Amino acid sequence: MGDTTPFDEMYNPDGSVREPYRALAGWLSEQPDKALGLMQADAEAIFRRLGITFAVYGSDEGTEKVIPFDVIPRIIAAQEWRKLSKGIEQRVKALNAFLYDVYHRQEILRAGRVPEKLILNNAAFCPQMMGLEPAKGVYAHIIGVDLVRVGADGYYVLEDNLRTPSGVSYMLEDREAMMILAPDLFQRSKVAPVENYPENLRRTLESVAPVNSRGTPVIAVLTPGIYNSAYFEHSFLADQMGAQLCEGHDLFVDGGKVYMRTTTGPERVDVVYRRIDDDYLDPLTFRPDSMLGVPGIFDAYRAGNVTLVNAPGTGIADDKAVYTYVPEIIEFYLGEKSLLQNVPTYNCTDQDEREWVLENIADLVVKEVHGSGGYGMMVGPTATEEMHEEFKRKILARPDNYIVQPTLALSTCPTHINGDVAPRHVDLRPYVLVGDEVRITPGGLTRVALKQGSLVVNSSQGGGTKDTWVLED
Amino acid sequence: MRIEIEHNLSLSLSPGSGQLLLHLLLTPGSGPMQTVESWSVEAQGIGNAGRFTDAYGNGVHLVNQTRIEGDVTVAARGVVVTRDTHGVLGRPEGEPVVALYKRVTPLTEAPAELLAGFEIEGNRLDILHRLMSLVGESHSTARQTQMQADGGQLQSQGEEPATAGDLAHWFIGAARSLDIPARFVAGYLVGDDEHEGGLHAWAEAFDDRLGWIGFDPVLQLCATERHVRLAVGLDGAAAVSLRTVPAGEISQSALVTGG
Repeated sequence: MGDTTPFDEMYNPDGSVREPYRALAGWLSEQPDKALGLMQADAEAIFRRLGITFAVYGSDEGTEKVIPFDVIPRIIAAQEWRKLSKGIEQRVKALNAFLYDVYHRQEILRAGRVPEKLILNNAAFCPQMMGLEPAKGVYAHIIGVDLVRVGADGYYVLEDNLRTPSGVSYMLEDREAMMILAPDLFQRSKVAPVENYPENLRRTLESVAPVNSRGTPVIAVLTPGIYNSAYFEHSFLADQMGAQLCEGHDLFVDGGKVYMRTTTGPERVDVVYRRIDDDYLDPLTFRPDSMLGVPGIFDAYRAGNVTLVNAPGTGIADDKAVYTYVPEIIEFYLGEKSLLQNVPTYNCTDQDEREWVLENIADLVVKEVHGSGGYGMMVGPTATEEMHEEFKRKILARPDNYIVQPTLALSTCPTHINGDVAPRHVDLRPYVLVGDEVRITPGGLTRVALKQGSLVVNSSQGGGTKDTWVLED
Repeated sequence: MRIEIEHNLSLSLSPGSGQLLLHLLLTPGSGPMQTVESWSVEAQGIGNAGRFTDAYGNGVHLVNQTRIEGDVTVAARGVVVTRDTHGVLGRPEGEPVVALYKRVTPLTEAPAELLAGFEIEGNRLDILHRLMSLVGESHSTARQTQMQADGGQLQSQGEEPATAGDLAHWFIGAARSLDIPARFVAGYLVGDDEHEGGLHAWAEAFDDRLGWIGFDPVLQLCATERHVRLAVGLDGAAAVSLRTVPAGEISQSALVTGG
């Protein structure tokens, strides 16, 4: 971790262009002045027309923003992707095996490979899931693995996101926009398609319908409603898959089965792709004050009459404290070494590590164990001294509530900034579907920190997105 | 002992509740300590109920009701034959992994005051018996064996007598803090001169040699042939007989006669 020079994805250290970026470099050099600026303006218009906006929590109510889109694609070579996708597949298989185990015989806890208390007393562990047999043994069907690239060959996994990962609609719309904006660039490269994601999602969901469902399974996408920041994505995916978009009150449980209210009467639902958090999913089993969920839907799931995607309780496998054990988890269930690396993580409950962390906080990244979306985190090198002190106090007060990692030198990609092209830091979230087979969409969502030097790529904190190309051989 | 049980529940809802969903844990199972001879659950809509087993191995009815007028009533009745096993249930099949019952829930926080000065000596059975005495003695005023619908909160003020559910939670919290798996049992008790019969609650703790053993801090006894097990869970909230959406006020009682 000593090397803090970020990996430049486009240029070699000697200034020559890396192989996967050759076609792009040629294309960029041919663009007349201001062409990128015009493309950027066109892109904004396209996204407004498509209606892709997101709400920023904590800002003025009703603030809908277009997520900034960068017109220069990020490019990954075919052999780089093959290696990466093998590592991702290994990880999601192991994590699903882990989920099956912790909700059944808990062999990994008995073997002492993961501390029992870390799982059993974890808020993300869902005791109501014990003994349940999910279709095909799959708990996490839709996964977005957050990766950062730190070298020609090195990717680190930041987070596994096994609950309800969002952002896939940006991946799809970024590609659509890019095809409109630069069709000539696509002619120069063979780019793996991403537009079959909705079809693959549908196939995945159909493959995990309950054993007793008949005919073509009926799928519903359950959204918390129009005020949710990802509502656009919920409606987009339902539309693309040809599934019904439902709110809690559109579904009901009768006789232990789930039905959708339609103009022609109740229709039985087999698979619910729910974008509502566990706590709010069912007031009968989880939070009784939830108005968003469907009363009895968890019981219908236990009765084997509906499949919930993802299963409740998957959060135990992407808990930030459990994250440090993922290499162990992969070895335990698959008997293989982890292909992808974890970011080295310091444990603040250990006194020696904590003391070291407190001394070096200005160089470190601190994350709340249960935080997400860039909220509740601090990036040491860009934070103020007051923030360093504040997070020191927080860590001392609740050492188990934080994990601490070194500041990673996130790789950079060429990015259009005010008419110029400049390197900016990026991360990558590939989307994985797990059902009858593992389906990984080539590429994923690239998020880019548009501010010079910034390492925070979250859209809520001023990040943008890029189309991500995986080249085909 | 042949025990006849009649368990009546009543739910009052605020007016205008058009649809009601009831989650019933009202089906006792047969096992080493008891055999269910006959049992029935009566409620409007029971014929169409969804039936399944929950995470703790309890049989569940999920019942829909529409057009609710007045109070909603549910009744369970039947005959259960019990055996005296000195409280030992053992390791019945179809139960979740024992370690699950080390999880601390809001109702089963370790009772620090009670455990102050408690000596962790002797074998697990000794420890559990001493815990049972400790919990029982600390609430020697607890004579009310009626369990609250939610298993009850710990009574720290001591103004109201603790319920059997409170004592069970206390025992469970103490056992788990000593790394001993323990769970809540909701059930019925045949009364005697000292203890009123009816709805009751106690705890089970796990011994590596004998398996699950019932401990009743109210009676200061391991579970007897006067105890009928109805449902188990991590705590009283998980083993509650009736949960509904919308929520309402639940009152319940049981007539339990042994012969």
